[in-house]
Amino acid sequence: MTVGAAASGGAHPLLPVTALLGGAVALVAGAVWLLAEPAALSGHLGSPTAVALTHAFTLLYVTLVYVGTLQQLPAVLLVTDLAWKRLGAVALPLLVAGAAALVWGFAAGFRPAALALGGLGVTAALALVAAQTLRTARDSPPRDPASRGLVTAVCYLALTVALGTTLAASRSSPALAGALGYPAALHQTTGLIGAFLLGIAASGHKLLAMFALSKGGATWRVTAVTWCVHACFAATALAAAAPLAGWPPAAARVAQAVAVVALSFAGALQFVEVGALLRRRLRKRLEAPVERYVLAHAFLPVAGLLLAAGLREAATVALLLGFVGLAVSGMLVKILSFLTWTRAFGSAAGRPGPAPLLRDLTRARLEPVITVGLGFGALAATAAVAAASTTLAALAASALLVGAVAQLWQTGTVVARTLGGRLTRPREVVTTK
Amino acid sequence: MTTEVELVDVDAAAPAADVLQALTEVIDPELGVDVVNLGLVYAVTVTGAHARVRMTLTTPGCPLHASIEAQAEACVLRVPGIASAAVELVWDPPWTPMSMTDEGKRQLGFF
Repeated sequence: MTVGAAASGGAHPLLPVTALLGGAVALVAGAVWLLAEPAALSGHLGSPTAVALTHAFTLLYVTLVYVGTLQQLPAVLLVTDLAWKRLGAVALPLLVAGAAALVWGFAAGFRPAALALGGLGVTAALALVAAQTLRTARDSPPRDPASRGLVTAVCYLALTVALGTTLAASRSSPALAGALGYPAALHQTTGLIGAFLLGIAASGHKLLAMFALSKGGATWRVTAVTWCVHACFAATALAAAAPLAGWPPAAARVAQAVAVVALSFAGALQFVEVGALLRRRLRKRLEAPVERYVLAHAFLPVAGLLLAAGLREAATVALLLGFVGLAVSGMLVKILSFLTWTRAFGSAAGRPGPAPLLRDLTRARLEPVITVGLGFGALAATAAVAAASTTLAALAASALLVGAVAQLWQTGTVVARTLGGRLTRPREVVTTK
Repeated sequence: MTTEVELVDVDAAAPAADVLQALTEVIDPELGVDVVNLGLVYAVTVTGAHARVRMTLTTPGCPLHASIEAQAEACVLRVPGIASAAVELVWDPPWTPMSMTDEGKRQLGFF
């Protein structure tokens, strides 16, 4: 039997591994940047630095890791081969280049040329990834709510950047810009809720059940989260379109209220679903990265309370840095271990002797540092935005940097221990009969 | 409820039980428990010098499927008397944690 490195049905492991490592590097760079300019977090969040930092986090960390996992995850959830396995070799560099141009364009004071080029690059990259996922789903249609949710979330991800680029381009038309303004909420909601919350809910339903050996939660809740996300997006789109359509301001306010209610339901359902999965698990002691993924959900009620208190920006930070940041970090370490193990030991057939376990690939001492650093950093960042405190912002940046460096160290450890062969044990040669 | 493994010997060059024993060397790298105690092996049939293993994985589409399948085949081929082996992955019935043996559950700290 021949076992290739890419025999899992996904792309060659090198593609997602590169993306995950790139994401870990980007998080460190972003934390250093925030430490150098903490006022970006405590001041006006529409400032060039704040917008650049936000896009560095969402595109070069979260989305890069997300797209990296999408080189494997659809094959797992849809139980088939990933379509166009080499497409990631085009999409990933395009994403990184486009995102870098966007971040620079924002940081340099909203440079139109850089933003246009970057926006088009990222839009093209995510359109390719969405096409790849949809093609894979066409070959093996999703049979459960989690798989359908993941495919939908990937479409929202592509829509997010397309919307952002389109909305930004509309500003080149004074008449349109005057009527439309810049409905950032639509762009933010599509990304934060449609792409990230739904993506985490859908893939997490499957992955958490697998890692915790859970007998499963309720698939209806995943379906309900998906519909709440759709309702939230539709209501936000209506609110954004209200000025163009000439609707009274009250109509926009009603639509915004509906969006908040739908978002709250989606968050609450996901919170309950994770609790249900944990209650029904057979593996009592979870591994540290999985614990981090679970802990991320503690930020959902925090964001809900802040939203109820009218602190929308602080709620957004809690959702983005806390919920999304921690969930992505947990899955990054788990998925990286799977990928590198498959690469290093997947073709070990025919050679007796145990390959290392996945947990042997990580350095256990680093895990609490990652969790506390990123978790406390997200909490302090939320407080910094709510209180407009530069001191808290600097504290948040320091904690995030500690967590990000530990995470980078952990990812380097995983790669070194597998691809470097440090855990490879002597094996005897076996001749095939 | 643990999975009962179906063992069939037909003019067997080696007992199917020996083949099953050999499969305990195949370890799931995520859980750290062998595939037999995880309840992943459904049937072992030995016909002459040919062994056929019917087994499943904890999750359909598991990215580790190729390596586990290959390791299972390699372990079976190391049983004296076995000259060829075939490993068939099936998804029906699906695996559940309840398929594990008591030893598997003990290793995962269920007790």
